[in-house]
Amino acid sequence: MIKVLLADDHSIVRAGLRSLIEDTGDMEVLVEAADGREAIKQAMDNPVDVAVVDLSMPGMDGLEVINRLTASKPELPIIVLTMHEEEQYVVRSISAGAKGYITKRSAPEQLVSAIRQVHGGGRYLSQEAAELLALRVARGERGSPLDSLSNREVQVLRALALGQTNREIAEAYHISVKTVDTYRFRLLKKLNLRNNADLSRFAISQGLVEP
Amino acid sequence: MRLRTILLILSLLALVSTAVGGIYYYYSLQESALVLARRRAAGQTEVLTNQISSFLSQNQKPVKALASLAELQRAAADPGEANLAAANLVLDRFQKALDVDVCYLLNRKGMTIASSNRRSLDSFVGHNFAFRPYFKQALAGKAAKYLALGTTSKKRGAYYSSPVLGPKGKIAGVAVIKAPISLLETSIVQGDMDATLLVGPHDVIFSSSRPEWVNKTLWPSTLEDWEAIARTRQFGEGPWPWSGIRRTGEHKVADQRGEEYLYYTRPVTNFPGWRVYYLTDLSMVTQWAFKPYVRTTGVVVLGLCIFAGLGVYFLYRKASQEINRRRSAELELRRSEERYRRLYHKTPALLHSIDPNGRLMNVSDYWAEAMGYSDQEVIGRRLVDFLTPASRRHAEREVLPRFFRTGNAKDISYQFVKKNGEVVDVLLSAIAERDDEGRMVNSLAVLVDVTALKHTEEELRQAQDKLSEYSRDLERQVRQRTREITSFMKYTPAVVYMKDADGRYIMVNSRFEELFEMSTERVWGNTVDSLFPPDIASRFHRYDQMVVRGKQPVQVEERIPQESGFNTYLSVRFPIINEIGEVSRICGIMLNITDLKRAQEKLRLLSGSIMESQEKERRAIARELHDELGQVLTALRIDAVWLRQRLAEADPKAGSRADNMCDLIDQTIIEVRGIATRLRPPALEDLGLVDALEWHTSDFERRTGIACVFKALQVPEVEDQLAIAAYRVAQEALTNVARHSGATDVEVVLGAEDGMLNLSVIDNGDGFSVELLSEGKELGIAGMRERASLAGGSLAIKSAPGRGTEVRLSVPLKPTAGETS
Repeated sequence: MIKVLLADDHSIVRAGLRSLIEDTGDMEVLVEAADGREAIKQAMDNPVDVAVVDLSMPGMDGLEVINRLTASKPELPIIVLTMHEEEQYVVRSISAGAKGYITKRSAPEQLVSAIRQVHGGGRYLSQEAAELLALRVARGERGSPLDSLSNREVQVLRALALGQTNREIAEAYHISVKTVDTYRFRLLKKLNLRNNADLSRFAISQGLVEP
Repeated sequence: MRLRTILLILSLLALVSTAVGGIYYYYSLQESALVLARRRAAGQTEVLTNQISSFLSQNQKPVKALASLAELQRAAADPGEANLAAANLVLDRFQKALDVDVCYLLNRKGMTIASSNRRSLDSFVGHNFAFRPYFKQALAGKAAKYLALGTTSKKRGAYYSSPVLGPKGKIAGVAVIKAPISLLETSIVQGDMDATLLVGPHDVIFSSSRPEWVNKTLWPSTLEDWEAIARTRQFGEGPWPWSGIRRTGEHKVADQRGEEYLYYTRPVTNFPGWRVYYLTDLSMVTQWAFKPYVRTTGVVVLGLCIFAGLGVYFLYRKASQEINRRRSAELELRRSEERYRRLYHKTPALLHSIDPNGRLMNVSDYWAEAMGYSDQEVIGRRLVDFLTPASRRHAEREVLPRFFRTGNAKDISYQFVKKNGEVVDVLLSAIAERDDEGRMVNSLAVLVDVTALKHTEEELRQAQDKLSEYSRDLERQVRQRTREITSFMKYTPAVVYMKDADGRYIMVNSRFEELFEMSTERVWGNTVDSLFPPDIASRFHRYDQMVVRGKQPVQVEERIPQESGFNTYLSVRFPIINEIGEVSRICGIMLNITDLKRAQEKLRLLSGSIMESQEKERRAIARELHDELGQVLTALRIDAVWLRQRLAEADPKAGSRADNMCDLIDQTIIEVRGIATRLRPPALEDLGLVDALEWHTSDFERRTGIACVFKALQVPEVEDQLAIAAYRVAQEALTNVARHSGATDVEVVLGAEDGMLNLSVIDNGDGFSVELLSEGKELGIAGMRERASLAGGSLAIKSAPGRGTEVRLSVPLKPTAGETS
């Protein structure tokens, strides 16, 4: 039985999530918390296996909660559950120590598998979140050739380097095939490269993809 | 002209006669030179023939002596070895003693049996010379001499032969001496300007001072001649070509080159068939004839010719000049007369001349024109006929008699009557011209039309009147304008003053007096230094300098302390420039805009607080939407998904309804989030400016397809108000990029430097002319500026058509105190 701590300031959301979790049969919501302070207290006081924490809560915001929890109870995996779909939140959360990140909208489909995955010692990230993390790492220092590229261009670069087709990329990022081609052309021009093979080499050299 | 022709002919004749004399002299000289040359040739030829004769007789005696020697007689009679040896010895001795070429002995058959050259290669021994005439003659008992080219030695020589008698007085052989002809040649080859030839039988040239002629025929020869020459073998084996000399006249020949010679010929004494020719170069004759004369007479003749030529030329020049001078004098006289006439007639003055009877002899054209008559109508008539009755009386009684007596008149006032009846006022001055006996023959009178003068005087007076009226009017206008300006100065709400170029006040208005609490009398003629405290004085002074130097108005806002505190004035200082471009006055107008400034400030604060409350409101709504509505929708979705899963198998219809519900809820969540984010991006508060901009730029790219690069360069934590201002400016600028620029790339750069936060949005779009930018129309620039100024910073826009656009916000990271208060 996986014991879960559920921290969200909205009781109806908590109720919904609780039913999602308990429907599985091998998980239970051990404790709930309505704000950050309470969440920390409950996590410390109870033998919970996984903490599911909303990012925006009154009193203390989610990031702060993650920070404190990873400091005082590092073995407890935390899944960030949020309304925010902006990738920037992902980066902050992961760097604060969260092991998983899902939006509330995708909770019904993903929460359970996310809990399982982090409880098993893994991470749970959406594809876009993973890419953004990679980009952040690659751009770690100033003066990188990636500086002249926009985020979307970096994403397309990465996808192309991984060998995805234009159509696959278009579907993945909800853009037209023609737009993907435009990005490809812009990349070649900006980076002064000739073809997709060059792009792959470049992406590897910048640490965007594994060799 | 005729005189000139005569002179020309005379000079030509003189020159021709000199030339003819010269030519005649030249020919006579040449003739005498020819005679002289001929005489000289005859002399030379005689000497030459004599020399040749004597040369030919030179070895006659020795050969006889040789022939009579016993050794030779023995050898000839009995050509035994011993005899021949003895003969050879004798021949050798003779050869040496006579210094001749060869001495030899022929037997009766002409065969050489002994010779002095028996040991040399061209030895004569064994050769037969029976064909030689000298042998035949000697065999006939006579001594002979002969000139020929040796058949064995190929050398020319002179042969002397004599019979050698045998024991019985019979001729047993012939003794021969062959002598070189060098001596002969020396006598022939002499003289450099002449050519000498020794010509043998058949006209073959045997020797000559011209080596190229030797062994050629003198005249053109025929084939028979050649055969005859060959037969004699006298001149070798030939050939004997023609020397090229031909006769051109009596005693004249020409050589191949065409040079002419005078020739003289003479047979050689005692040597029949041989002649001497003496050729004298004709050109040399001429030269030789003239040489002495050219040196003496030639110079004299040349000198005379030049002298004669110069004399003729000089005289001709003199005569020509004289002719020219006379002609120009005549012309000048005619011109002068013509000038005088023209002057008289055409001069724009009234002139007339009268004779002693008072009749008009002449009038100037102007006179006739002015009076309205033609010349014919006036000439010959009495002058007084053209005067008014009063003037006529005056003329007849006083003026004319006095004039005839004294010969002049001055400033006589007459009235003339024109043909059309008009009266003309004139002043007349005249002078008489007298002949040698003192009789008056002519006169000249000058009339001055004073009608116009009188008229002009009147006009001048009127003009003066008008002028004084104008100046009175002007004065009135000036006074009026002065009153106007003074009123303006008095009632204007602005402070007005005027200073001279040195900064001394020369005019201030009442507002000035009030503002600075100084009377006009106090201010007048003083500078700022003596009127104001040092800080104000130096400031005023600085602005004045800017005006004087720039010659342009300077507008500033300045704060001036007053009883009620500092007041703000908008002051304009401007120069007045004089005619020569110097600043003559410095003027100033200062308007109190303190109230305006306060109102502006209030407005700014108000606008700030409106914007602030707007932001607050937005944030509240966004939170409400996000947190409350969003969460409810989330919970709803969880349930809907649960329902969908449950019903999917049990009741597929209800399941698909639940599916639709899920989709609907999904869309609603996205929409609510969209509205909330647009109102106020949660990232700005939660994550800060950098992350918010990063999200916004990538969202922008996603929405517009315009590549958007965001760069954050070491940005510190930014205060909330500032972050909102920067974020909104970036948002607005990017909206403009998407809507208007047509750009494909845009760069957003956020950085901090020297306590300033800088945000640039740079696109590669069409750009626009910044001057044509109408603020706040649609680009939201006014809004951006407002935000910038509320944050205490500034907004700059750089753009040009085709060059893209850069919007740059600069705001202090820490709000400076007092700026907004």
